[in-house]
Amino acid sequence: MSYLRLNGLTKRYGDTLATDAVSLEISKGELIVLLGPSGCGKTTTLRMIAGFIEATSGDIVLEGQAITGLPAHRREMGMVFQNYALFPHLSVARNVAFGLEMRRMKQAERDERVAEMLQLVKLDRLADRLPRQLSGGQQQRVAIARALAIHPKVLLLDEPLSNLDAELRQDVAREIRLLQQDRKLTTIMVTHDQQEAMAMADRLVVMRDGQVQQVGAQEDLYERPATPFVARFIGNSNLLVGSHTDAGFRTETGTHIDLAGRYQGAGRATLALRPERITLGETGQVRGTIVLSSYMGATVEHVVALDDQTRLIARGASSGPAATPRFAGGQSVFLSWPAASECLFDGGDAPIPALSHSINERISSHA
Amino acid sequence: MRQKLPLAAAGLLGPATSVVVLMLAAPLALLFRDSLNRFDVTELMIETVTAANYTRFFTETFYWEVLRTTILVAATVAVLCVALGLPLAWRLARTTSRWKSLMMLLVILPLFIGSTVRTVGWMILFARNGMMDSVAGLFGTRVDLMYTTTAVIIGTLSVNLPFMVLTLQSVFEGIDDRLTEAAQGLGATPSRAFWRVVWPLALPGVMISAILSFILGMNAYATPVLLGGPRFQMMAPLVFWEFNTNSNWPFSAALAFILMATTLLLTSLSNFLVPRRYRA
Repeated sequence: MSYLRLNGLTKRYGDTLATDAVSLEISKGELIVLLGPSGCGKTTTLRMIAGFIEATSGDIVLEGQAITGLPAHRREMGMVFQNYALFPHLSVARNVAFGLEMRRMKQAERDERVAEMLQLVKLDRLADRLPRQLSGGQQQRVAIARALAIHPKVLLLDEPLSNLDAELRQDVAREIRLLQQDRKLTTIMVTHDQQEAMAMADRLVVMRDGQVQQVGAQEDLYERPATPFVARFIGNSNLLVGSHTDAGFRTETGTHIDLAGRYQGAGRATLALRPERITLGETGQVRGTIVLSSYMGATVEHVVALDDQTRLIARGASSGPAATPRFAGGQSVFLSWPAASECLFDGGDAPIPALSHSINERISSHA
Repeated sequence: MRQKLPLAAAGLLGPATSVVVLMLAAPLALLFRDSLNRFDVTELMIETVTAANYTRFFTETFYWEVLRTTILVAATVAVLCVALGLPLAWRLARTTSRWKSLMMLLVILPLFIGSTVRTVGWMILFARNGMMDSVAGLFGTRVDLMYTTTAVIIGTLSVNLPFMVLTLQSVFEGIDDRLTEAAQGLGATPSRAFWRVVWPLALPGVMISAILSFILGMNAYATPVLLGGPRFQMMAPLVFWEFNTNSNWPFSAALAFILMATTLLLTSLSNFLVPRRYRA
């Protein structure tokens, strides 16, 4: 049985659905990331779990008990806000102690817990400071300590890294992840940054327009996206719209592309290709012209225009045995990719399974 | 650049400073000089330097009583203003209703009418055989509020309350709603979240608006004259009475200074009511 379950969680504002029947099963100790562009309903979902927003319909079930009707102060969730929302008139220690005071914990026990929490986030020496006397990163650690002090049933993180300097972000992400694994904290995090999400999550939930697009581990989302939206949002796939037949793929403007795999049926389709899986060479599945070539350090990126001027991005290693040859603007090249790296979606955005690879895939997914 | 900065600052501060000096500081200095003069029934004002006017105020109980009434009315109004304005301002600051601007307008609307005209409205309500009295008459009782301290307090309250609500509303809007959510998420009931988090943060602003109301109350003129009647005395009407009816400019100037000094003194003392760590 799952630890936390969302059951058709819907929030309606007038005519718009902020979330549309979001269902999710979360195991104890798992870090789930809700990922999506702004307005996709991820924050609304988080705030409904915290109890700050009342769901229009649906259930939230924690440890087998529905908490949907419970007010925020009785839910035992530890929320870390995007702007941290530290109490500006209270010292760091008093901020961390706040939740314990609300629980009327005894002074001695409380002091001990606060000290433990501050040590955990390495802020024990700043206990008497006011929040405004701390740096952004320190404030965030206070927010985490404050949320963890009450031993929450679920830790909720709302864009925890967005207010930090770019250079600090990766370190903090790693620290949060280590802390979460170490203490086996069931955590739900919201972010719009897919790299952040990939780096921290056990499983990701990609949302769009209030609906869950796909739930899965990093590899599921990357290798087997459920919709073109997921293919583009995770790892920026090239998306080509057109139709497919036994003979291959044809873009809307008529360029023919040989597909690496074989697919059942024919009709409207979207082809998703990962930039880093495209190889440029003298032979391949479709011909194009180099528009732009950029050396990015670890990688080399080429923008290639097909004959109908559709643009694709191809990315490869800049050095090593698999290094991408560099092409100059205007040069004619052929693009190729392995069958496992092309994703074809039908007119309803559902993936079309590849015939020739169905056996291999079955083996790998059972491994 | 660094060399020019003081000049630029002087240029920016100059106009306002000269207006303040010309229109406020200079007249106050003249007024203070007048308060040290002596009054004579025939010559009116005789130039001298004497503290007689101040001595007179502090030795006659009548004036003490007037000052006491003034402080009492102003303080009561300030406290009532906070009590009545706080919930209203809180709701206004936190509402997401699309009628918010209309509600704001309703709060400001009384300010569109001059306080004297509004006071006349209160007179119609309070007067013997006025509206309240007539309604009470139907139930066999009488309500005669006219020319009472209560009438003056209600009248002043109605003048000050809109200012109070406006300042408090912006105070509350300056407090991030996430703080309330954070408190509730940590287990605080909505009322505890308010008193433990919002209230301490709002306190400096609440004090400021209470002081604003207090100052307005200390200096109220039209309301005490119209609703308090001839036998009710407050400082501002008394200043005018001495100046206009008795033509006693020196004493009137001294009264004005005593009123101003008392207001300033009490206002700065009130600062100590806010704990230091809450001060902005």
